[in-house]
Amino acid sequence: MAAIEIESLTKWYGRARGVEAVTLAIEPGEIFGYLGPNGSGKTTTIRCLMGLLRPSGGVLRILGARVVPGRGTQHARIGYLPGDFRIWGRAKASRSLGLLAALGGDRRTTARRRELAARFELDLDRAVGDLSKGNRQKVALVSAFQHRPAVLVLDEPTAGLDPLMRQAALDLIREAAGEGAAVLLSSHDLSEVSAVCSRAAILREGRLVEMAPISRIVQQGEHRLKIWFAHGTPIPEVPMDRLPGVRIVERQPGMLHLAYRGAADDILKWVARFPVDRIATPQTSLEEAFMQYYRPPDAGGAGTRPVTPGACP
Amino acid sequence: MSRALRPPFPFALLRFWLLRILPAWGGIALLIFLMQIAVSGIVHDNEKVKTLLGFLEALPSIVKAALGGEMLRLGNTAGLIAIGYNHPFVLFLYMLFAVGTPTGLLAGEVQRGTMELILSRSTTKVQVYVCAGILTLAGMFALVLVMFLGTVAAVNIFTFQDRVPLDVFFRIAINGGLLASTFGAFALLCAGTFARLYAAVGVAVAFLVTNYFLAVVSNWWPRMAFLKRATLFYLIDSSNLWQGWPVRNMAILAALLLAAAGLGAVIWHRRDLPL
Repeated sequence: MAAIEIESLTKWYGRARGVEAVTLAIEPGEIFGYLGPNGSGKTTTIRCLMGLLRPSGGVLRILGARVVPGRGTQHARIGYLPGDFRIWGRAKASRSLGLLAALGGDRRTTARRRELAARFELDLDRAVGDLSKGNRQKVALVSAFQHRPAVLVLDEPTAGLDPLMRQAALDLIREAAGEGAAVLLSSHDLSEVSAVCSRAAILREGRLVEMAPISRIVQQGEHRLKIWFAHGTPIPEVPMDRLPGVRIVERQPGMLHLAYRGAADDILKWVARFPVDRIATPQTSLEEAFMQYYRPPDAGGAGTRPVTPGACP
Repeated sequence: MSRALRPPFPFALLRFWLLRILPAWGGIALLIFLMQIAVSGIVHDNEKVKTLLGFLEALPSIVKAALGGEMLRLGNTAGLIAIGYNHPFVLFLYMLFAVGTPTGLLAGEVQRGTMELILSRSTTKVQVYVCAGILTLAGMFALVLVMFLGTVAAVNIFTFQDRVPLDVFFRIAINGGLLASTFGAFALLCAGTFARLYAAVGVAVAFLVTNYFLAVVSNWWPRMAFLKRATLFYLIDSSNLWQGWPVRNMAILAALLLAAAGLGAVIWHRRDLPL
């Protein structure tokens, strides 16, 4: 049974679309990346999942129980880290965290809270309002993990953290997944997503345009080809009409950087007509793969290609 | 949803909020208590009463109407003590608590962004609303009882020529508690309905002030007497309270209280909060 199930989630804000027909499932022990630019519907999905917003349509389930808006049925077993984490500024961090733990009915979190605070080098006896942005984010992480939840819903969990603490946070996420927690990780930081997630979904204008293992997302995008021409050879004009799916990424004296879709056969035949010094095929990063979903199709983008339920693993 | 899946009542939130409002409640209660002692300290002395009444006669007649009208006369000790119950400063203190508590707890937490954290834990929106409701209504009732205790203390501190009918003041306190709680319930309704804290506070204050203004004007200006019934203050008519328990008025107030609080709960539960 999936720990998180979202079926045909649709949310409209009046006439404005939040998300439309979003379907996904996350298994226990899986870290699932949820990607998209600002306003694409990531936070709307998360708030509907948490029962904070009333969906216009669709069904959401957490740990097998249907999510009913305004009723925190399974919330004692969910660790939630909102994108804009705000907590009572005048209260000590330990007091606010104690309240949030007690609201889940779990009062035996003190030891775990101290352990996490030590791990993140966080002083729990200071008022949250006196803490820096990075330290407030550590409080947010402790609040999400202190009760050893079975489901984690994390919106930008490492925002504002320094590289060391960022690594500690990612380790914590991996550990939680290793203990069987299902993790929904929404992030703009694609290196972070590729570092910890096994699968990811990409949102564009409220619709899912991709959902696949990270490796496949990276592979099925554009491929890259860097060609260094022999010394003194002018860079030839690329016959774009005869090479569909090819675009120029960069042109420098002596070097041409191309991106292409499909087979490389036609490009290689064209390149073979010139004296070439060397060729390289740089690895496409998740960031580059991600960006193609937001370019118009004539610029090498994938365009809007909604994922239909059941089409992806 | 089955009962087994319903989250337990969030007593931790109730305690957390109680500790937050307690200093303000304590300050207001102390001022109301001292106000009763101060008023009784003036009215137990006939010379001071004469001076007070002379002073009131020198002011515009609407001021006297606001403080009790024809009840304020030499020899009517109870009516004079009741100045402490009708005084605009005391009513202002009640308004402060009635409006500030529910709007601060509900709309305030939403605006500060902390409601998202509260609702992300194992609690329901209605339970959160009920916590705010309990603190508002119980707090208002407790303030009214403090006001009555102030009168009791004053009666024991000062010597009055006439017997002070404490039973009547108790009835006024209980009825006043219901009225104050009804205003609190209206403020709760505003807090559950409006997206912004200032909108909730503004509408709740406007409702309270309009009621008070209509009550004073209809008492002061005979041609406006028909407006008496248009205000909630009509339901705490002191002439009725001298006769006994005004059961009908209390029932109406209780019904209005429940209706406002219930409607607020429904709206709060059904609407998307601007998180």
